[in-house]
Amino acid sequence: MSKIERTIDELYADDSERADAVVFGRETGVNRRGFLGGAGLAAMGAAVGGAIPFSQNMPAGLIPAALAQAQPTTPPAAAPAAPKGPQYLNFPGKDAKLVLLGDRPLVAETPAELLDDATTPFGKFFVRNNGQIPDEAKDPDKWEIAIDGEVNKPLKITLGELKSKYKPQTMRFVLECGGNGRSGFNPPARGNQWTNGGAGCAEWTGIRLADVLKTAGVKSSGIYTAHYAADLHLSGDASKPTLSRGVRIAKAMDPNSMIVWAMNGQPLPNIHGGPVRLIYPGWAGSTSQKWVTKITIRDKEHDGPGMTEFSYRTAIKPMIPGDKGDPANFRILESMPVRSIITSPGNGGKLPAGTRELALRGAAWAGDNIVETVDVSIDYGSSWKPAKVGLPRNRYDWQRWTAMTKLPSDGYYEVWVRATDNRGNRQPHITGNWNPQGYGGNAMHRIAVLVG
Amino acid sequence: MGAALWFPHLPTLAQTPQFAPRDEAPEGFPAGAGRDEAFYSCTACHNFKLVAAQGLSRRQWDESVALMVQKHGMPVLDDKEKKIVLDYLETAFPPRAPSSGGWQNPFLKQ
Repeated sequence: MSKIERTIDELYADDSERADAVVFGRETGVNRRGFLGGAGLAAMGAAVGGAIPFSQNMPAGLIPAALAQAQPTTPPAAAPAAPKGPQYLNFPGKDAKLVLLGDRPLVAETPAELLDDATTPFGKFFVRNNGQIPDEAKDPDKWEIAIDGEVNKPLKITLGELKSKYKPQTMRFVLECGGNGRSGFNPPARGNQWTNGGAGCAEWTGIRLADVLKTAGVKSSGIYTAHYAADLHLSGDASKPTLSRGVRIAKAMDPNSMIVWAMNGQPLPNIHGGPVRLIYPGWAGSTSQKWVTKITIRDKEHDGPGMTEFSYRTAIKPMIPGDKGDPANFRILESMPVRSIITSPGNGGKLPAGTRELALRGAAWAGDNIVETVDVSIDYGSSWKPAKVGLPRNRYDWQRWTAMTKLPSDGYYEVWVRATDNRGNRQPHITGNWNPQGYGGNAMHRIAVLVG
Repeated sequence: MGAALWFPHLPTLAQTPQFAPRDEAPEGFPAGAGRDEAFYSCTACHNFKLVAAQGLSRRQWDESVALMVQKHGMPVLDDKEKKIVLDYLETAFPPRAPSSGGWQNPFLKQ
């Protein structure tokens, strides 16, 4: 009779310190950190594929993240070399051309030419995580969201109740990572090096967040939201929120701010925060908390992970690029800046010799604002031609644009695009307003094409 | 301290098998003194690819480590450990040539 072995996750879930001992023979000292007499260190090091420097600092009862994330059945024969050049996302249902920015946490961006659909399909939608990806919810309608803090009637409501008690709406909104465009900063700013692909535009079905907040009754002292979610911190420590952001109460009460459970008519996929997430269109994507479990109304600006110092903040007084910032000189990023992309042709497109006309199309969006004009240039900005800009289906939808441009000869061309919003904000040639974590980068997009 | 304590409505929060990160090892990154120490200090939480994607000065690396300790629960490194890690990061991932916005000429012959 074969012995049923328990998985490492089960052991740690039951009694993590005992699991340390069982799995690795690890015993911690009185401060619950480190490895008494080195017991278990070699075993744990072997399991994570190498030595664990600074093991004296490792908290007891934590599954080493390398184990928590992947448990290969056989140890790798040789150390894997870091792959050269771009790596691509390999994820069920996702387009194989999504560019992997990191796999722990899992982050992938969409090349501009894949954003050629009016509604971005699931397969082409960018992926941004800050923590571990939770298990898929087994019974989505029982998922519970708590509303508490500065409200008259704190409440807990299930997704099933949200669906039945409130009026649903479906909107097409751009969702955009707050760090989109970061790779343009010089010197490089800290964080994932997004080009323009940390954005997509999908149809979201849910209810107005304001409707639920009205049920709870926000007190006059309630001026800010604080969001909490079910994704586990990367270290595996459940006592730490992975990311907890919030918005001014006026944004939360906006009829476009939603609690959503469907994306493009399908149940919201787990990888995008399903079964239920927030959407604050036009603002940094991190405010649109995935796997949301609790919204606390606060009487001051929220101070959770992702809210303070340089996180999702830009400089008030412009700072020297690369310098050490003064946190007092920073304010929270709210609306995303105006941005446009060329989605056809793709960068690196080749056209037959003799081609003298080039059809261009793309998308433009502007956070809380509306895109008024889009211009294209094939001479590095010496001259510009206006594109035809479509109307958004609803507020916060992106606007598709088209343009025709003449090509005077065969050869190498760069096509540049710039958008201007209804407040006169126009994309710059280069990324300015440097800040340590690289927000607000919205330099013009360009592609190269070769004729002949 | 189990996940269930914090999110009682969820059966478990064990890592989903839906996606397994690529294996990484220190040998996959530029050789240098302190590589192992830097690798394992950072990869307790996140992949090293994220580290290797940055190009920072020593001061900025120092600030990054401080940020990870303050905001992201990284254990404090003592002065000796921090020097080893910073020595490696400064050497292996210094500020890069002027950024071109992540844009690369697709026709340039390598």
